[in-house]
Amino acid sequence: MSLELSTPKPVASASSLARQRLIGRVAVHVAVILLAVLFALPFVWMLKTSLMEPLQAKAMPPVWLPNPFRFDNYRAATEAIPFWRYTVNSLVLCALNVVGTTTSCALVAWGFAHYRFPGRDLFFAITLATMMIPFPVLMVPQYAIFRDLHWIGTTLPLWVPSFFASAYNIFLLRQFFRTVPRDLVDAARIDGCGEARIFWQIVLPLTRPALVVVALFCFMYNWNDFLAPLIYLTDDRQFTLTLGLQAFQSRLGEIEITLLMAATTLMILPVIVLFFLAQKTFIEGISLTGLKS
Amino acid sequence: MGNAMTGETRRNTFYGLLFISPWIVGFTVFMAIPLVLSFYFSFCDYSILNAPVFIGAQNYQDMVSDEVFWKTLRNTAYFAALSLPLGTVLALALALLLNTKLFARAFFRTVFFLPSLVPLVALAILWREVLHVEYGIVNSALRWVGIGTIDWLGDPRHAMHGLVFTSLWGIGNSVVLYLASLQDVPRGLYEAAEVDGANAWQRMVHVTLPMISPVIYFNLLMGCIGALQVFALPYVMTKGEPARSTMFYTMYLFDQAFSYLNMGYASALAWILFLLIALLSLCTHLLSRRYVHQGDLS
Amino acid sequence: MMPRLLARVRRGVAGFAMLLAAASAGAEADAVSQRVEITYWEKWTNFEKEAMQRVVDRYNSSQDRITVRFVSMSQIDRKLLLATAGGNPPDVAGFWSHTVVDYADRGALTPLGPLMKRDGITADQYLPSILDGCSYRGYVWGLPSTPATMALHYNRRLFREAGLDPDRPPQTIAELDEYARKLTRTDADGNYIQMGFIPTDPGWWGPFWSFWFGGHLASADGKELLCDTPESIRAFTWFQSYIKDYDQRKLRLFEATYRGQFASPSNSFMAERVAMQLQGVWMSSFIKEYGPNMDWAVAPFPSETYNPDAPSTVVECDMLVIPRGARHVEEAWDFIKFVQRQDNMEELCLGQGKFSPLREVSEEFYARHPNPYIRTFRRLAESPNAKAVPRIGVWSEYRDEIAAAVQTIWTSSNPPADVESVLRRVRERIQPKLDRVNKRWELVREERIKEWGTP
Repeated sequence: MSLELSTPKPVASASSLARQRLIGRVAVHVAVILLAVLFALPFVWMLKTSLMEPLQAKAMPPVWLPNPFRFDNYRAATEAIPFWRYTVNSLVLCALNVVGTTTSCALVAWGFAHYRFPGRDLFFAITLATMMIPFPVLMVPQYAIFRDLHWIGTTLPLWVPSFFASAYNIFLLRQFFRTVPRDLVDAARIDGCGEARIFWQIVLPLTRPALVVVALFCFMYNWNDFLAPLIYLTDDRQFTLTLGLQAFQSRLGEIEITLLMAATTLMILPVIVLFFLAQKTFIEGISLTGLKS
Repeated sequence: MGNAMTGETRRNTFYGLLFISPWIVGFTVFMAIPLVLSFYFSFCDYSILNAPVFIGAQNYQDMVSDEVFWKTLRNTAYFAALSLPLGTVLALALALLLNTKLFARAFFRTVFFLPSLVPLVALAILWREVLHVEYGIVNSALRWVGIGTIDWLGDPRHAMHGLVFTSLWGIGNSVVLYLASLQDVPRGLYEAAEVDGANAWQRMVHVTLPMISPVIYFNLLMGCIGALQVFALPYVMTKGEPARSTMFYTMYLFDQAFSYLNMGYASALAWILFLLIALLSLCTHLLSRRYVHQGDLS
Repeated sequence: MMPRLLARVRRGVAGFAMLLAAASAGAEADAVSQRVEITYWEKWTNFEKEAMQRVVDRYNSSQDRITVRFVSMSQIDRKLLLATAGGNPPDVAGFWSHTVVDYADRGALTPLGPLMKRDGITADQYLPSILDGCSYRGYVWGLPSTPATMALHYNRRLFREAGLDPDRPPQTIAELDEYARKLTRTDADGNYIQMGFIPTDPGWWGPFWSFWFGGHLASADGKELLCDTPESIRAFTWFQSYIKDYDQRKLRLFEATYRGQFASPSNSFMAERVAMQLQGVWMSSFIKEYGPNMDWAVAPFPSETYNPDAPSTVVECDMLVIPRGARHVEEAWDFIKFVQRQDNMEELCLGQGKFSPLREVSEEFYARHPNPYIRTFRRLAESPNAKAVPRIGVWSEYRDEIAAAVQTIWTSSNPPADVESVLRRVRERIQPKLDRVNKRWELVREERIKEWGTP
C-alpha cells in the first residue's frame, strides 16, 4: 500500500476513467437503494399490518397488500384504549416541559453568558459536571423527595423540574448567547433598557434558532420518555401515550396485532409530521448538539 | 466584601444570580439533595415504606457476590460491544454513501433518519413483531434465503442479538451527524491527497477518518454511557428474559428499587453506575488526547 | 443527621409543593354529593371486571353513604407498591395472595383481625387453604374475592383421535408423559404440528412444579427455602426431560409460535394444537369465548404418585386489602364486608367462573355455574395437598429467581443445565435475603405487635 502511494498513477484514458466513474456511481446508487429498502421495510410492514385483517397479517409467506383495506382498525385501536386521552396527556406534559425548559434554560444561560460575578465559573463547572449524572442514578432519591412532597400519583414530578433548568440546554444556549454582541446590550442599557427587557427584546429574538432547537428536542424527549412516567404515574387516566401503548401491548395476546400496529402508527405519526415541518431544525439541531465536543 | 465591590460588579452579581436562580434551586432540590440522600441510602436497609436503617457497607458487599449484578453488567457490556462498533460502521458507511453525488439525496437521508425519531416504546413494540418467530419479516427473509427460523427474542443465545438488530435501525442520528462532519472536511485536503496519488480507500483512512475522529469519539462515548442506561427497549421487548439474558443494568436497578423495594441496594447500584459513567468519560477523554485528531471542528 | 436534613428539605419546599398540589387537586374536589367516595383498584379486565362491577353497583345502590369508584388497571402490583410507598394508596385494592407478604412485612397493610372480630366474621367461614393464603405471621391481611386452583385441562377430541380414552385422563406424571407422546404429531419434515403437553405452556406456574412431586417451596415456618430438595430436583429433571426427549429446536419453535397468546383464538389449547395444559379455573370462560366448539374436560393434574384422595394443586386467591395510609378505612371495610356476604360472593364468583371461597355454598350456585367442572376445582381447594404460595418476605425476588432458573433449564441445550446446581444457586442467592428479612422482623416484632395487636 505505502509503496503504491509513492508510485505515480498510471495515466488512464479519459473514456475508461469515465466508465469507472459511472460504474462507481451506479454501485453507490444500488447500495443506497438496497439499504433504504431495508430501513423502510419495518415502516411498510407496520403500515400494511395496521390495515389488514388479523388472519392476513399473520399469513405466511407475508402478504404485502391488504385485501381488503381495513381503515376501521384505526378507529378500533383508538377505542380499545383511551388513545386520545393518552395523547392529550402526553401533549400537555410535552407543552409544560417545553415551556419550562426553554424559559428556565434561557434565563440561566443568559446569566452565565453575560454577567460576570464571583463564583460564576464554579457554578458553571458544576453545571457541566451534572451533565454526567443520568436519570437512573437519581430516580430513587428523587422518588423519596417527591414522596415527601406528596407528589406521587400526580403529574408534578414529570414537569415541575423542567422549570428549574437542565445542564445540557444551559450549556448549549450559553454558547449562543455569548455570540450576542456586548456593544448591542450596552447600547440598549444606555438607552435606559432594563435587564429584563434586554433579555426579552434583544437576546431572545437574536437566538431564536437555538431556542427552537432546545424546544424541539425537549418535545421529542418527553414524547418518548418512558421510565419517568412508569415510576410516577399510577392512575390510568394520567397515562402518557408511551405507557398506554406499553400497557396495551402487554395484554397477553388479547389484542390483535393489527390494532397494535395501528396504535403504534398513530403514535409515530406526530413525530414524522413534526419532522417534515421542521426538517431543517432537526438536522441542524443534531449537528449542533452532536458537535459540541 | 460588599463594600469593595464597585456598583457595576454588584449589579452584575445581583442580576447574574437572579438569572441563574432557577438553576440554583433546581440543582439543590433535584440534584444535590438527591445525590446526598442516595449516598446515604446506599448504606441503608431502606424500603421507602419504613425509615432507612443504617447497615454500613453491606449493600456494596452484597453486590460483589451478586451474580445478577455481574450478569447485568456483562449483558450491558456485550450489548455495547456489539451495537457500538456495528452502529458506527453502518452509520459511517451510510454517511459516506450519502456524501457522494447522489440522486435524491435528501430523500435517502430522510429514509435513514426517520427510524431514529420513532419513540423507543413504539420501536420496541414494532420490532417485537418484526422479529416474531412465525410472521415476523426477519424470519420470513431468513427462511426465504434458506437459513431457517430463529427465535430471536425467546432464545437466550439470540435475544441480545435481536435487541442489537433493533437498535441498529435507529442510528439515523449518527448518520446525520457524520454526514454533517464529512461535509465540513476541507475539499483542499482531498485534492492534496489525490495529487499525492492516494486512492479512495487511502483518502478515507488518512484524510476522512482522522478529520472526523472527534465526532466518532464523541458518539462512541455517548453510546457507552447510553448503553448503561438502556431500559425501555428490553423492558418492552423481553422484560429481561429469557433466563435474564437481556437484563440490563438499569432494569436491575429499577427492579431492585421498584419491584422489590430494596431502595438501599438500588441506591448502591446507582452509585456504581455513576462511578462507571464518570470512569468511562475519563478514560475516553484520556484516550482521545492520544489518538484523536484535534481538528478545527469545534 | 440525615433525617433532620430530610425534615428541613420537607419544610422548606412544603409551601411551594402545597401550592402546586392544591392547584392540581382543586379540579378533583367533589362538591356535588355528601357521599364519601372510596377508590378501589383492581387488576381484572373484561368479563372478570364486569362481574365485580355488578357487585360494586349493587353496593353503591344498597346504601347512600359511600360510593365505590372502581378502577381497573394493568401492572397493579407495581403501581400499588409505588402508590403505597408514595403515601397515596387507594382505599381498597385487589391483591394476589402472593403480594400480601411483601406488603405485610413492611407494615404497608391494615390488619383486618380487629375489624373481623368486631363485626363477627370468623376464619371458619372460609376454606382453610384459602384463608391461609390471606394470612401472614398470624394476622389476616385481606379477605378473599375470588379464589382459583389449577388443574389439567385436556382435549377430549384429540384424546379420541390418538386412541386414548377421554374418560381416563392421566393420573401419574409417567402416564402424562406417555399420553403426551401419543398426542404428538409431526408433518413430513418432522416439524411438530400438534403436541400432547409442553411444561412451559403456558408456564405460569413454573416455580411450583415440585408441588406435584410432594415438594414445597419453603418450610412451614417461613425460615428455609426448599427449592433444591430431592422432590424439587426430581420435578425439574422431569421438566427438563421434555427438551431431551423431543427435538429441542423444533419444540422451541413450536412453542414460540404460541408464546404470549392467551385470551385469543390462537391460544395453543384453544387452537387445539396442544392437547393437555395446566390451567386455572378461569379457563372455561375463555374456552367459551375463543374455542366454543371444543370438547374438553378437567381432572386433577397428575402427580408423581397417584393420590386420588389428596390431589395436589396451587391455590391462588384474589383478595381485598386496605393499604396503610388509606384515607377511608371504615368505608373500605364496609365494602369488603359487603363482598363477603354469601349472596354477593356467589354472584361475583359465578360472574368470574370461579368457585366460592366460603365454606357455605348454595346448591343454586353449582346449578347455575357456567363451568361444568367447577366441583373438581372446589375439591382441589379442599385437598390437604392444596398449597398456597409460600408466605415469605422475599417472595417476589424468590419467584423471579426460580423463574429465571426455570428458563435456564429450559433453554440450555449444549450442554443441558445441571438441574441440581441451578436450583442450589437459587437457594444460595435468596436464603441470605430471607434470613435478613426474618432477622429484621425479630427486631420490630414487639413494636408491630403493639401496633397491630396480638395475632
